[in-house]
Amino acid sequence: MFIHNFKYAFKTLFSNKMLIFWTFAFPIILGTFFSMAFSNIENSEKMKPVDIAIVNNHDFEFGLYKEPFKMLSDKNSDEKIFNIKYVDNEAKAKKLLEKNDVSGYLLLKDNTPKIVVNKNGFDETIFKYAVEEIGSYIKMTKTIGDKKISERLNETGRVNTIYQYVYLGVTKRIADYKANIKDVSRSNLSYTMIEFYTLIAMACLYGGILGMVSINNVLPNMSSNGKRVSVSPTSKLKLILSSTFASYAVQLIGLLLLFLYTIFVLKVDYGNNLPLIILLSLAGSLAGLSLGVFVSCVFKTSENNKTGFIIAFTMLGCFLSGMMGITMKYIIDKNVPIINKINPVSMITDGFYSLYYYDTTDRFFFNLVSLLIFSGLLISISIISLRRQKYDSI
Amino acid sequence: MTVFKTFLKVLNKCKVPIIIYTVMLVFFSAFNMQTSEKNISFADSKPNILIVNKEANKDKITKNFINYLSKNSNEVNVSMNEEKIDDALFYRDVSYVIYVPKNFGKDVLHGKNPEIKIKSTKDYGASLANMMVERYLKVANVYSDVTDNEDELVTLIDDTLSKKVKVNLTTKLDTKLIEKAAFYHNFLNYCILAGTIYVICLVLSSFKEENIKKRTIVSSMSHKNYNRILLLSNALFAFILWIFYCILAFILMDKIMFSTHGLIFIINSFIFTICALTLAFLIANLVSNKNAVNGIVNVVALGSSFLCGAFVPTSMLPDFVLKIAHILPSYWFIKTNEMLKEMEVFTFDTLKPILTNMFIVICFSIIFIIITNVFSSKKRHNK
Repeated sequence: MFIHNFKYAFKTLFSNKMLIFWTFAFPIILGTFFSMAFSNIENSEKMKPVDIAIVNNHDFEFGLYKEPFKMLSDKNSDEKIFNIKYVDNEAKAKKLLEKNDVSGYLLLKDNTPKIVVNKNGFDETIFKYAVEEIGSYIKMTKTIGDKKISERLNETGRVNTIYQYVYLGVTKRIADYKANIKDVSRSNLSYTMIEFYTLIAMACLYGGILGMVSINNVLPNMSSNGKRVSVSPTSKLKLILSSTFASYAVQLIGLLLLFLYTIFVLKVDYGNNLPLIILLSLAGSLAGLSLGVFVSCVFKTSENNKTGFIIAFTMLGCFLSGMMGITMKYIIDKNVPIINKINPVSMITDGFYSLYYYDTTDRFFFNLVSLLIFSGLLISISIISLRRQKYDSI
Repeated sequence: MTVFKTFLKVLNKCKVPIIIYTVMLVFFSAFNMQTSEKNISFADSKPNILIVNKEANKDKITKNFINYLSKNSNEVNVSMNEEKIDDALFYRDVSYVIYVPKNFGKDVLHGKNPEIKIKSTKDYGASLANMMVERYLKVANVYSDVTDNEDELVTLIDDTLSKKVKVNLTTKLDTKLIEKAAFYHNFLNYCILAGTIYVICLVLSSFKEENIKKRTIVSSMSHKNYNRILLLSNALFAFILWIFYCILAFILMDKIMFSTHGLIFIINSFIFTICALTLAFLIANLVSNKNAVNGIVNVVALGSSFLCGAFVPTSMLPDFVLKIAHILPSYWFIKTNEMLKEMEVFTFDTLKPILTNMFIVICFSIIFIIITNVFSSKKRHNK
């Protein structure tokens, strides 16, 4: 009987087109949109050479700013931060700025730099910063050079020191210095991955609709099919269990398809620990299933309302875990951590995040156990509410 | 009147999604609207950083270093727990973390080159913070050649780093406020599309139900009259929805909406609403299954919002996506909003590209009307 009912519950679920659209196709479509919209975000946040213009007047041509700018715009240098357009006069530079061809321009007048920009922003700040930096190195050269010359003058009493030699020495010392900075950040820093993790979590919980529909099919107060099944001389436990397992199986097939699509087509990175990824997916789906069973058993309302509740609950959970804005998850985690500790979507998302970002598994197992507790709790309540149910009339 | 009343009855059933779309719009716009002081002079963009001084170095050089960094950046408040720091970095709350090493001050004073550990997101903010740290270290290290005195070194560093350059800002526009208005109107793409398609598809499919259709056919009302009222009711709904979002824009954005920018934003959204209306008619004609409406709304509205830059700014979208987006009206609607962000002078020449965009959106509407007509007449013939 178990296998018989399992088979038919499985078939019924698969023949429901709307259900299959929401649980199978919709996450895949949404994932495709995510991938198209977010694939370039992190690249666009990286620093690119800033387009600037420089008025190539007498002050610039024979001044101290020329060489550093040449270095900072050298194609072959790692330190390239500018694409420079040299113009003859300020009017031309202004025109370039008006057309938004450059972020700003530099004008040297009496060896004092002046920058003109269109707006506030990182590009403009970097431009200003570089000019200030060059200015500070010029000042440094002068201060140290002067100091060295006066020291030598005091020591030897001669004034015929070769000034240029001293200044060149200081300039070389400044140019040769390399700060000893060591980057110790973790390698997996792609934060848009969170979007795909919330997507998997959403698919897991949407799977709850499958559980809810298949349980509704055996509940006498929900469908005529349920009435017929209930009066049949079959163990109710077997009926409920087989329906539940059928929906779990359908749910896992959907999740498998989503995983294959996101891994091979969208190139989502879930980390390298495959057994733990599978374990988390199984637990996540179980949480979705238990939510569906819970809603179907405890809420005495129409199927539409039950579906609405599961969708609303899932979407709220997704929102709090960062689906509609990745920082939301962080804001909640930082300020009201308890919310995401009881939010199953966040448990799944955070589980994947910890596998992707961290080397240790403590956080992962905390999320896994939380999911199991969540599922256990909902299933227990459902069992209590289903036990010994009898109807005088329906 | 009967048709209109039935229309209102169906509309009443659709209020929940419309409320949800509006709440989302208000929430995200408000979220995007913090800090709105006007910038007339140039202000540095400051990176978000975290300085970790675990060894609690208290010498003057370390203090000076920390002071310099915090003055030129936003120090973020994160608890000094490595996991919390890593989380902050991942979610871009912090772009750059600097670990001040043991004996930092002493090493710098003695001309050593101490190793500074950092964590970085490698974005703009991080690059800027890195420039800052490198600059400080370079200045300090080179000056340490000429002095062994801590106080003198600090004075020399301060003296050098305090040199500022003059920056002139040409724009008189309050760019931040316009950016917010543009964000609101870009997001409106989703609300208008989802709202009109959802409601109109649901209304038309309710009227197309077999029993109701039969009843209308046998009624004394002329078919033409019936269609006209239905069409007008739907157009009226779209118009009211547009007015509602305009009022919301005035409440949320206030000043900017009373300028020429605001006027063009409003005209642009009106033209787009008409386009959404025609698209909704087309979809309603293609789909008669009520259950499918929800799925279609999500795919169409979310799809064109994601691809055309309603949620993610167009500057951050990959080129191939933007190329695909050209075939959608949303792209041209959003393009106008984006152009308005940088527009200062309004002449025929500067407005030309905007008018072209609007014309393209109108063309889309005409195409949708033609397809709808062709399709529905074919359907009638088949019957």
